[in-house]
Amino acid sequence: MSVRLSVISQVEQVAKEQKKKLAPLSDDLVLLDSGLDSLCFAIIVARLEDALGIDPFSTAEDAGFPVTLGDLIRFYEEAGK
Amino acid sequence: MRNVIVTGGSRGLGLGIVRRLTEAGYRTIAIARKETAQLQSAMEDGERDHHGSLRFVPFDLSRIDEIPRLVKTLRKDFGPIYGLVNNAAVGFDGVLAIMHNSQIEELVRVNTLSPIVLTKYVVRSMMADGGGRIVNVASIIGFTGYSGLSVYGATKASMIGFTRSLAREVGRMGVNVNSVAPGFVDTEMTQKLEDEQRQQIARRSALRRLPDIDDVAHAVEFLLGEQSKSITGTVLTVDAGNTA
Repeated sequence: MSVRLSVISQVEQVAKEQKKKLAPLSDDLVLLDSGLDSLCFAIIVARLEDALGIDPFSTAEDAGFPVTLGDLIRFYEEAGK
Repeated sequence: MRNVIVTGGSRGLGLGIVRRLTEAGYRTIAIARKETAQLQSAMEDGERDHHGSLRFVPFDLSRIDEIPRLVKTLRKDFGPIYGLVNNAAVGFDGVLAIMHNSQIEELVRVNTLSPIVLTKYVVRSMMADGGGRIVNVASIIGFTGYSGLSVYGATKASMIGFTRSLAREVGRMGVNVNSVAPGFVDTEMTQKLEDEQRQQIARRSALRRLPDIDDVAHAVEFLLGEQSKSITGTVLTVDAGNTA
């Protein structure tokens, strides 16, 4: 599964588990408006570490979190290179 | 078998907790810098008695940057982590006004920063797995005073504050977070106390004695067990009534 598909499938899976109403997914969707909260993103990061073997947040130099879904996907794609 | 990580599990209170949890049927993962003869004998006992099982993972918890990799390896080797007991700590005492800055820094690094970062990586995997238990070993020194322990006291108070807020943060994800606050227990850490001081502490305690390691280990076991499923964000004091 590509990095993009892994990220999207985790977003959908966690939304389902946490009973969150997910906004339609697109690259310019602002994560804060996605319907998921920060704990959901913590779970997504943990699951993606298991699935992809990487945690770009622990290796990143700055403390920012990606703004849009597209940013999040690119963040993982870059880290996986 | 449920996995429980115990930091500083090779001696003192940590070893007592490790022994208790292994007997209670957990797969206990003791993390410490060095394996000790006592830990080896606890592992042999665990093998023989077939209750739980006990594993040792060598790691220096002051190496904060290595913690993410440690948790990744633990999950890979042992599977989902049910419990985390943040027990490892250093206990330098000394008058603040002349305590070396490097000692102050090490106290904060080992007793506060390291358990917080370790918890960060463990708690999110607990959330992803649907729940878990965290027990932070604080100390009565976190809420009562003792001359010569101001920095140690600060780090232990920090664990109590950490416990309360984290409990609120992760409660809805099925993770319970509590602290145990032991009074003075006879371990290597408290060996510097003179007999006179020890007797004075016992005299001032409601039960006229000091708690022992097993008392504290049972409290930790309780906070990991089914019976405590509705307890979170609290401090369980085990001090023979010293602060009563």
